[in-house]
Amino acid sequence: MPVLSARNLTKRYGEVVAVDALTFALEPGTITGFLGPNGAGKTTTLRLLLGLAQPTTGEALIFGRRYHELENPMHRVGAVLESGDFDPGRSGRNHLRTLAVATGIPFDRVDELLALVELEAAADRRVRTYSLGMRQRLGLASALLADPDLLVLDEPANGLDPAGVYWLRGFLRQFAESGRTVLVSSHVLAEVAQTVDAVVIIDRGRLAATVALDELDDHRRSLEDLYLELTARQAA
Amino acid sequence: MTAQLRSELLKQRTTRTNALLLLWMVGLVVLVVLLHVVSFGVEDLSRSDNQLKILGLGTGIGTLFAALLGAMSITGEVRHGTIRPTFLATPRRARVIVGKVAASALAGVAVGLLAEALTAGLEAAGLAARGIHIELGSGDYAQLLAGGALASALFAAIGVGVGAVVRNQVAAVVGLCVWLLFLEPLLLGDVPTAGKFAPGASAGAIAGAIQTQIADDLVAPAVGVLLLAAYAALASAAGSIATTRRDVT
Repeated sequence: MPVLSARNLTKRYGEVVAVDALTFALEPGTITGFLGPNGAGKTTTLRLLLGLAQPTTGEALIFGRRYHELENPMHRVGAVLESGDFDPGRSGRNHLRTLAVATGIPFDRVDELLALVELEAAADRRVRTYSLGMRQRLGLASALLADPDLLVLDEPANGLDPAGVYWLRGFLRQFAESGRTVLVSSHVLAEVAQTVDAVVIIDRGRLAATVALDELDDHRRSLEDLYLELTARQAA
Repeated sequence: MTAQLRSELLKQRTTRTNALLLLWMVGLVVLVVLLHVVSFGVEDLSRSDNQLKILGLGTGIGTLFAALLGAMSITGEVRHGTIRPTFLATPRRARVIVGKVAASALAGVAVGLLAEALTAGLEAAGLAARGIHIELGSGDYAQLLAGGALASALFAAIGVGVGAVVRNQVAAVVGLCVWLLFLEPLLLGDVPTAGKFAPGASAGAIAGAIQTQIADDLVAPAVGVLLLAAYAALASAAGSIATTRRDVT
């Protein structure tokens, strides 16, 4: 059973087809890059997978079930959709605690994660004082709270400094090596080429390609060529 | 379900929003009650019905702020995007709404008690300072406190429901203020036969008075409890259904 799968997944908003008969699946123990131009439907697809939006037709499944059917979903899936999903008036520690209480996780685990993402010193400051990189790390901590088997991250490297990007890459690699799975959307192809095992490329809501990086001879160079070729606009 | 209630209570305690809301409420109660106690003539203030009407100011302000607190608990999450992690942790969204209704109702009890106690204390002090005898008995005060607490708890639930349906914070806050401060007094003044069944008037019936209406013009307290409970149930159910059916953007 795939960790995550989209089958004929379609989402229409009136006349606009945001996601169009999308089908793909993730195998355990892999890191998959989710690529596509702005407006290609990446974020909508992630929302459908995470049960925040209902598909018009088709299925979005995680461990073979729809998100809201999962028992204690945060123990299966950790997700960060946007780097700004915090109340600016609440401290980082309290943000994690409100989620911990809702899913029955002890506060010790909150402290553990604050240490992991190196936010201990800022934990009791209100989030409005955090930099973009600190918010990204706090988001990652909330996704990891219940030690999930699958991580879904939307543009996680945004706002991270080079050391942060290096750290994140190592962390995701280690996460996948323990048999767990990562889906990471990104615009930064060079970064993706260094981190992922495979890519799913979508364009205008449709699947453009799924590629294992082993199949490309020079990762960084040919991934860019492939991406540009697949997502080229008719006007271009 | 208790996990959601505890999470919502923690959310309420960990930002300054509610503390600021309470501060505004205290300021408003002090201003409005003192204005009445200072500006009215001795003869007017000596009448028990007028003394009761001044207590009703506390009920009006307490229920309004309880409703705002309830509405903020959901519209604040929509505004800041925390609704996404909240629903990722608890994808059965009706549970989130029930948690918010319960947590806001508990906070509403505190809001109601504070507003009513402050109003009663300020009025008593003001009347004493002007040498006016207090005509109200302990029964009036007991009904004010217990009724005000209950009415505010139910109004907090109404606020959650309205906030969940409307989602936009400014629209929900303005809507609740316009209804409670403007439309309902108009309704009660012009069409009292229908107006007395409205939510604010029902709160007045429970607590003994609201704004400028005293219990004689309102429904019986028990009927007020039933009416307001029905409004709270209706609003919560509508909020729950709207939240479950709609996509989160």
